[in-house]
Amino acid sequence: MCADARERPRGAHGRAPDVFRRGGWVPMREYDDRDAVDFAIVGTGAGGATLACRLAELGFRVVAFDAGAWWRPLEEFASDEEHQAKLYWTDDRLCDGADPVRLGSNNSGKAVGGSTVHFAMVSLRFRPEWFKARSQLGYGADWPLDWREMWRYYARVERALRIAGPVRYPWGPHRGRYPYRAHELNEAALVLARGAEALGIRWTPTPLATLSAPRGPAHPCVYRGFCVSGCATNAKQSALVTWIPRALAAGAEIRDLAMVGRVAVDGADRATGVEYLREGRWRFQRARNVVVAGYAVETPRLLLLSATGRHPQGLANSSGLLGRYFTVHANQAVWGTMDDEIRSYKGPPSLAITEHWNYADEGKDFFGGYCYMSQGPLPVVWAVTQGGRGLWGKPLRAEMQKYNHQAGLKIVGETLPQADNRVTLADTKDAYGLPVARVTHAYCDNDRRLIAHSMDFMSRALAAAGARDLWRETDDTCHMAGTARMGDDPHCSVVDADCRSWDIRNLWICDGSVFPTVGGVNPSLTIQALALRTADRIAALAGRGEL
Amino acid sequence: MGTHSGHGRLGAGVTAGVAGLALAAWLSGRRAARGTASTEPVRAARACHRSSALLAGSVLADSAMEHERGAYANPAMYVPPLMAALVLLAGAHGGGDARPQRHRVRHAVYGGAMATGVAGTGFHLYNILKRPGRWSWHNLFHAAPLGAPMALLLAGGLGLAAERVRHGRTRVPRLLGRPAGQALGLLVGAGLLGTTGEAALLHFRGAFQHRAMVLPVSLPPLAAAALLHAAVAPPTRRPLARWLLRLVRLLGWLGMAFHTRGIARRQGGWRNWSQNLFAGPPLPAPPSFSALAVAGLAALRLREKRA
Ligand SMILES: Cc1cc2nc3c(=O)[nH]c(=O)nc-3n(C[C@H](O)[C@H](O)[C@H](O)COP(=O)(O)OP(=O)(O)OC[C@H]3O[C@@H](n4cnc5c(N)ncnc54)[C@H](O)[C@@H]3O)c2cc1C
Ligand code: SF4
Repeated sequence: MCADARERPRGAHGRAPDVFRRGGWVPMREYDDRDAVDFAIVGTGAGGATLACRLAELGFRVVAFDAGAWWRPLEEFASDEEHQAKLYWTDDRLCDGADPVRLGSNNSGKAVGGSTVHFAMVSLRFRPEWFKARSQLGYGADWPLDWREMWRYYARVERALRIAGPVRYPWGPHRGRYPYRAHELNEAALVLARGAEALGIRWTPTPLATLSAPRGPAHPCVYRGFCVSGCATNAKQSALVTWIPRALAAGAEIRDLAMVGRVAVDGADRATGVEYLREGRWRFQRARNVVVAGYAVETPRLLLLSATGRHPQGLANSSGLLGRYFTVHANQAVWGTMDDEIRSYKGPPSLAITEHWNYADEGKDFFGGYCYMSQGPLPVVWAVTQGGRGLWGKPLRAEMQKYNHQAGLKIVGETLPQADNRVTLADTKDAYGLPVARVTHAYCDNDRRLIAHSMDFMSRALAAAGARDLWRETDDTCHMAGTARMGDDPHCSVVDADCRSWDIRNLWICDGSVFPTVGGVNPSLTIQALALRTADRIAALAGRGEL
Repeated sequence: MGTHSGHGRLGAGVTAGVAGLALAAWLSGRRAARGTASTEPVRAARACHRSSALLAGSVLADSAMEHERGAYANPAMYVPPLMAALVLLAGAHGGGDARPQRHRVRHAVYGGAMATGVAGTGFHLYNILKRPGRWSWHNLFHAAPLGAPMALLLAGGLGLAAERVRHGRTRVPRLLGRPAGQALGLLVGAGLLGTTGEAALLHFRGAFQHRAMVLPVSLPPLAAAALLHAAVAPPTRRPLARWLLRLVRLLGWLGMAFHTRGIARRQGGWRNWSQNLFAGPPLPAPPSFSALAVAGLAALRLREKRA
């Protein structure tokens, strides 16, 4: 029907794809390159799309750019893991350090909607103390924000995405009711539940950004479990089917297949617009404000690429911290074989969770926390995981035959921010002719202690639930953060609490990069809460003439 | 359900359920045959048979489908649909029966249905309590539903009431030592509240995502209150109660229409019926409100006749 979304832009000629109707279109407002729009936003993921939507709804003139394609989930998302690699950011990057991270499928997306198009939908709030990790818990850094304010923004995101969560959440201060009820648990989730009950800790159905009841034209989840390959029903509340349609309705323009290569600044240290490549041609969009929301690798990369004579170390980098404190989540797992069939791939992958070790402070020999969740790897991912254990040939075949009986528990573990874990520019260039990012990463001792603690605990839990032949997956990471941290002090941070650059006051950073610490939970809810707050703050500042 | 035979059996189960429901619906709308000089107790009894049949039709369709989904893992799971089918037949028979005597076989069927309902409630409770989380919202939403076996219990109860009412030796029929209209009113009032409870639980599970979802948790309790009041207050005409019950009777069918649309809103809609009949809102559930309203109206009539 339509040509490949990666060949020609779809957001053009005054219209954009209607993700809810096969072959449908919705009208889209368009701006001229020479027209200095209020906001040019780079990236349309959890941060960029949310901010674009809210700014447009608040009456600002917004153009958002994404290097990725504008997909139609109902028509173009196949039940095929390999095919769906089209959603990942797989452009060249160099990874080094003592514990190099693997970039791509498990941590970065390239599409309108960003990584949320293939994310796993786990939607968790930070533990309140984490916003003051340094002063209250003795590690990492404090956020320049108050948890109570964030709590209000979390509730707003949860409402906007119709998060399906438990009636009562077992940890942390009171939170209002989740808009939708939790999903039915699959067998893999029940394994987690049994293990937790055997060890005397609490567990709960995971709050997820996928519909447990219809929502307008979006269908409820059908439990096929292809979530991390992209959801073909629109049950998943990705930015692509939530914030983006709202942004369009409010008059924002979204430009797909538009790679931004440079943020321009003038001699007065004001951003003037962005240079971007679209349909083979470099163009320049004028803007009164620029927001960078390309996630924790591409955001520092773009700002480093935008260095000028006055800003030789890159934009917004007078502190020298841009690109530093690159922080991931540890993502280790314990797996085992159950006597009963589990078929863990049925349904969203992480239907049950325990945050016990996020909220318990006793019995730990490390700073920070972790949660762990049930798992549901699809066959190709599972085979690759086995390959990672060195299995091949007959042993691999034998292991794959147990696929339906596998159950696993996997952490999202807080690692500590370290200045030497960082994003810099490499000499190699990508297809756009731009130097690629070099990502340097190593665990510290605290990280290793946290990982060891989690694996021991999960092994006990899995065994208590009846699993045999346990083995450990030791080397995975997920999520990225920290490379443009927020703070109170221009010398120790890149942006302030409003995600506004200290150095260039009309340059903003609104994505996972601004996290000073990562906590033991998946980041997307926090990123979106921050974006909502930033939009409100921008409106307030504009109202006072302080933009 | 991956196999062809599974699909066939599924189709058969669903067809049987739907056919049962249709039969029950037809029965519930049927008036007493003209010309027979039915006394009010017999009229009321026949209404109760029809009500019981309609409720049983709903239970039949629902339990046949749900237990099919549970792959009849336990042979006991065949009993409820079977019992419901028998209650349906008994109701068909009783609904057309103008004799003022009880019928032994029907009587036995209704007793059996009640026993099945009690046992089923026990099974379902066990199913809830053995799952991790035990007595939790989550298991109430997703484990074996408590309301379903109770509906069979209620269908049996209504049938028994019908047998007793028609069998009155005195001019004023009595039930459980009370005037029949009063006893029936209390039974149906409680049944309406229980059914409301189930609708509330399931619509809460569905997050009341559609405005109409509040109807079955607001209208039936009002009707139940009016009916209960009519049952205990001195007998007189109760136009409000009557109108509320008529609305509830309508609501049941309206609910079915809404659920039809709810199924259409799932991925694949009605083309994907073999999945969506299960995943979507339960088609046979709302008419149980209509069934109870039919019995409630009969109770009102008895009550107005000072019974
Ligand atoms: C497989 C997977 C599972 C996940 N599961 C969860 C989960 O369960 N729960 C959770 O909370 N989080 C999860 N995450 C993480 C979550 O998706 C991300 O943290 C979040 O989307 C990051 O938001 P962002 O706005 O910072 O960046 P993104 O959402 O990644 O968006 C960045 C966008 O910017 C675009 N971009 C970058 N540079 C440029 C440029 N120069 N020009 C134009 N466009 C550019 C990219 O194409 C991309 O679309 C998961 C991530 C992955 C990959
Ligand atoms: S399991 Fe649900 S959320 Fe995941 S891909 Fe399928 S429909 Fe979408």
